[in-house]
Amino acid sequence: MSGSLLTPNLVGLCRSLTEILLGIVKAIFDALSLPGVGSWFVSPGVVVFFTYLIATLVMVMWAALVNLLSVMWVERKLYSRIQDRRGIMLGVPWPWSKKYKRGMTNLGWGFLQNIADGVKLLQKENITPASADKLLFHAAPAIIVSSTIMVFAVLPFSENFYYTKVALGVLFVLAALSLGPFAIILAGYSSNNKYTLIGGLRAAAMMLSYEIPLILCVVAVVLLSGTLDPFQMVAVQERPLMGTIVPSWNVFSPPQMLGFVIFFIALVAELERIPFDIPEADAELVEGWTTEYGGMRFGFLFGFKWLRAFAGAGLLVILYLGGWNGPVFATVSVLGYPIPILPQEFWFLLKTYLVVMVIIWISWSIPRVRADQVLKIGWNRLIPLALLTILGAAVFKTMGWF
Amino acid sequence: MFLVFSAVEIVGAILTVTSKKLVRAAFWLLITLITISGIYILLRAEFVALIQILVYAGAVPVLLLFGIMLTRKKMLEESETSEAK
Repeated sequence: MSGSLLTPNLVGLCRSLTEILLGIVKAIFDALSLPGVGSWFVSPGVVVFFTYLIATLVMVMWAALVNLLSVMWVERKLYSRIQDRRGIMLGVPWPWSKKYKRGMTNLGWGFLQNIADGVKLLQKENITPASADKLLFHAAPAIIVSSTIMVFAVLPFSENFYYTKVALGVLFVLAALSLGPFAIILAGYSSNNKYTLIGGLRAAAMMLSYEIPLILCVVAVVLLSGTLDPFQMVAVQERPLMGTIVPSWNVFSPPQMLGFVIFFIALVAELERIPFDIPEADAELVEGWTTEYGGMRFGFLFGFKWLRAFAGAGLLVILYLGGWNGPVFATVSVLGYPIPILPQEFWFLLKTYLVVMVIIWISWSIPRVRADQVLKIGWNRLIPLALLTILGAAVFKTMGWF
Repeated sequence: MFLVFSAVEIVGAILTVTSKKLVRAAFWLLITLITISGIYILLRAEFVALIQILVYAGAVPVLLLFGIMLTRKKMLEESETSEAK
């Protein structure tokens, strides 16, 4: 089995780091001949507090800086390629390279472009409409950002790369994602603008009707694997399928194939990607429910859609694509520790980014669905098929076929 | 902790029924429902708490939609600086 890159786990690593840092602080206070203050810093309660502080910081930085920027960069490069151009290319050469003297180049990778856009948004004025409901107008971005960050409290990236291990992790992720529609309708209503109101009402109608097939598909998965714990869910998918070399990921079981497709469509709708982006249809409504927001608030609303996409893709990978299980299990032993050649985090991130890229590929290839067609697809097609998936999963479970 | 949650919950419930604006009432209703799920977590009933958020807090937009549909309140207040006046 392929191991995880982190041993023992994220919180354990942060604890060792905290102990080293607090040891340095204690040495400084001892040198200043204040031994009481120094020993307060290494008392157990303070160590635990700083451990969780550092672990939270690491997880938020990992989610919001590394992955959010990467997903944005992947999207911008990929849709530029689909449109037959190169996309963002502004780059700063490394200081040790020969090209550094010439300064910024327009032949780079363009990874820093998103950071530059973020800095530009930070400098802009935060405009609040005069007739807006001030409290709710300011509360809506906070609800969206916090509920998206909440997902990463339980979303595991490998056996050891997680923040907390709760038994109801999948349910927690769904609950955190279900707070999004309310914040959207709040933003749409409180901006006091016709376009935002229409966008918010469309978002509420669409996301509520697509949340039902999403959760019904999760019910089918839970029925087969018998747990809501993401770790056990991945462990169930670890064995080979009926004596073959195919891994027993949930996609390969017959009722879940249908469930996978429905979950994927519902996820795309839940993320407001283009086939289902009627809430912010930029040809009809100006920018949908985000029209009245400006500056970094708009940046949050706009950027956290990609983080939601990343979180949703991670949930899809855990539920259907076998989580962090990969087909290559080779490890090298260094000083007695088994070091994996391709760690679990690699497989998880590879699958997640592939799912994100498929979502981007779909959303830049096909046109938008009309508002009534969206609701018809949701209620008339997806929900009966999702119920069929549950029926199939129940039959397979009782007959013991899978 | 229980006192904090219950105080927020009672204040939120009172504001839900007394606020004039529909969307404010929905916001306070959400606060009330989420603090109730916090009380469930204090009682070590995590499953009920998460279902509370998923089902009840997720259904507040539906309630708001029905509220908008069934009341005859003017939805958009005219801005005082608007040119329509």
